Amino acid sequence: MISSIRVGAKSNWAIAICAVVLLVFFLVSILAPWIAPHDPIQVNLALKLSSPSWEYPLGTDHLGRCNLSRLLYGARVSLGFASLIFVASLGVGLLVGTIAGYRGGWIDLFLMRFCDGVMAFPNLVLVLGIVGLLGPGLWQVVLALMMVQWVYYARMIRGMVVSMKQQNFITAARISGSSTGKIIRRHLVPNVLPPILVMGTLEMGWAIMDISALSFLGLGIQPPTPEWGAMIQEGKNFIRSQPELMLYPGLMILLVVISFNVLGESLSERFGVKRRY
Amino acid sequence: MHKFKSKKSILLASITSIFLVLTGCTNNETASTSNESTEESANSITLSWPRDIGSLNPHVYNPSQLLTQSMVYEPLVSYEDGGEIQPHLAESWSISEDGLEYTFKLREGVKFTDGSPFNAEIVKKNFDAVLKNKSSHSWLGVINVLEEIKVVDEMTFKMILSEPYYPAIQDLALVRPVRFLGESGFPEDGDTSKGITEPVGTGPWVLEDYKKDEYATFARNPDYWGESPELEKVTIKIIPDAETRVLAFEKGELDLIYGEGAISMDSFNYLKETGDYQTASSNPVGTRTLLLNSTNEKLADLNVRLALQHGFDKAAMVEGITLGLEEKADNILSTNFPYTDIEVEPVDYNTEKAAAYLDEAGWKLPSGKTVREKEGQPLELEIMYDKTDPIQKAMSETLQAEWSAIGVKLNIKGEELTTQIERRKAGKFDVDFWYNYGAPYDPHSFINVVAEKGWGVSEAHSNLPMKAELDQQVQEALASTDETKRKELYGSILTTLQEQSVFVPISYIKKTVVYQNDVKEFIFPANRDEQPFNEIEKASN
Repeated sequence: MISSIRVGAKSNWAIAICAVVLLVFFLVSILAPWIAPHDPIQVNLALKLSSPSWEYPLGTDHLGRCNLSRLLYGARVSLGFASLIFVASLGVGLLVGTIAGYRGGWIDLFLMRFCDGVMAFPNLVLVLGIVGLLGPGLWQVVLALMMVQWVYYARMIRGMVVSMKQQNFITAARISGSSTGKIIRRHLVPNVLPPILVMGTLEMGWAIMDISALSFLGLGIQPPTPEWGAMIQEGKNFIRSQPELMLYPGLMILLVVISFNVLGESLSERFGVKRRY
Repeated sequence: MHKFKSKKSILLASITSIFLVLTGCTNNETASTSNESTEESANSITLSWPRDIGSLNPHVYNPSQLLTQSMVYEPLVSYEDGGEIQPHLAESWSISEDGLEYTFKLREGVKFTDGSPFNAEIVKKNFDAVLKNKSSHSWLGVINVLEEIKVVDEMTFKMILSEPYYPAIQDLALVRPVRFLGESGFPEDGDTSKGITEPVGTGPWVLEDYKKDEYATFARNPDYWGESPELEKVTIKIIPDAETRVLAFEKGELDLIYGEGAISMDSFNYLKETGDYQTASSNPVGTRTLLLNSTNEKLADLNVRLALQHGFDKAAMVEGITLGLEEKADNILSTNFPYTDIEVEPVDYNTEKAAAYLDEAGWKLPSGKTVREKEGQPLELEIMYDKTDPIQKAMSETLQAEWSAIGVKLNIKGEELTTQIERRKAGKFDVDFWYNYGAPYDPHSFINVVAEKGWGVSEAHSNLPMKAELDQQVQEALASTDETKRKELYGSILTTLQEQSVFVPISYIKKTVVYQNDVKEFIFPANRDEQPFNEIEKASN
């Protein structure tokens, strides 16, 4: 099965399918308030744990809330915050990476050793530590994930900037009197971004997993906001009578993360981007 | 997660490890089943327990387990239904007029399992060992006021208190620390807090075999002074995970799953509905209560507290979330405790009344808004819950939804249990979940924390206009030697607390048990910590 994915990943089909799946998820998360049949936090204990019906297409959870609506709104949290983490850590990584790469010297040495330090720890452990310090909550989780993710972007961007810096067009720009800031803005960043976006696709999958994992542990999103990881955690108490309460959000995470990963891998193979350094 | 070269290798690795774990488990379980069926005699039962039984030392706390401590060691008096105190190792006792001197006559013919007799000397030795570490037992009222133990003669001793304390006798029924270790169990210096040499008790059970974190086997004490248990053997298997316990039970490896929270409500109902097993739930052992902190200036107003109590459908919430395993509570203390049988007007679910109370308190709903305001401030509160407790979480979410309908915004904050307790003790919360201590600790431990600072409960009540008077009544009740006076004081204290609504009773928590059909005569002990094995019988098949 795995080798067939590998073969498939090389084809355009994989890219197309994953892109469509992700597009649908993004659309759903944007349109959630209009397409969700119910308010996702509306409690109605009289209807708890009811089976699928026309009114509640996927049934209700232990507090009588509509499962479908919660899944749709959950997509908002997962995708929205994963994107936020992606953009924020890319921003920091871009800044640090270009400065370190372009300036070189002790600045480069200092920044890169710092990145090495952060990378030396397992990510989730570091995130758990930061969340432990800041206290539970979605914003704290986002901040913590951002704080550990930017180093990967910074490392990669720095590597690309170092090799690009030697090339003729940069020298030409410098000779013609462009300032450092302008060279970075106009010549380095546009060339660095495309491969980084491909890498970011892969990181998105991880970010979604991390948010869900932390919510499952009760550190991420606080109730009653719907979130996939938290929904799995709530469903765990009903694993005997209502296993679908865990299955629905689990399948959502699986689908989104697989899509991001396959898309990221296919894109990087296609465009010859090395994922790691 | 950034360490692996390929994501696929992770996938492969995780799938392999899952299979390894799964197959590993099944192998283990089948192996142990076959072992047991050969060695298990008909007259024995096996049950699960979530954690290791710890050291069988009668004078220490966690990680020693109350269940096993109560199998080996016995109290002077026993706690029976309704708070009745019965003679156990003490045959009779008398209390002096001033309530300071208790004289106990010990039961004749009781022997420790090492053959040594149970007498006043050994009682004193045990009390002295406990008093040596007074600080670790200071939560217990009787230890705080206990001055000394005097041996009168072979079978008589006197307990001298520094001040009158009526629940002294009830405190002696607890599983720890006032139970009795035999002479040969004591270490040389007599200080049991550092450990004992062997578990020598007078109780109906003797430890036979023990492997840490795996199992403990208890055999019937052949020389037990009282009525001998029906069973010959009790095996306690340590199974930390709740779902694994249920699986082991379904496979027939366990005869019994017992203990508070030992089985999820979903699994309990599932086993009950199959009809293949026996299930039961006990009388209330405690009340699940909301604590509305009156030091918060919004909650300082009685009208707001009453509005919140009228503002949620308690019956539906309890039935819905606990799947019918808990019972809706109107009284702060359930009436099966002594002195708690008071007239209580149930607070009904009535959103109109709730709204009227809030209007009266000056919290008005501005047009176009959903949250009430007073002087520009929104009516916003925070509830904290133990984030590992699914019931507290579900109830918080329900309260949030219900109170928003009366214009109260409730924020939910999941906390680590230790943080929750810290915040409670510091009085830094708006709304919190609280439980009373249960039998045999209540009702005296309950009223004690209402007056005594440092546990969060007294702090939560500190803005009541009659707080000083309430504290005074609590002191009097605890020191009172007159039964009718005490009853009156309890009635008055509890009525005030009900009316003031700082405590909002939600539900009565019950213990659950599931057992196989061949297990007979399971009776829940009146003391919530006591072992239940003496009466159990097993039908031979």
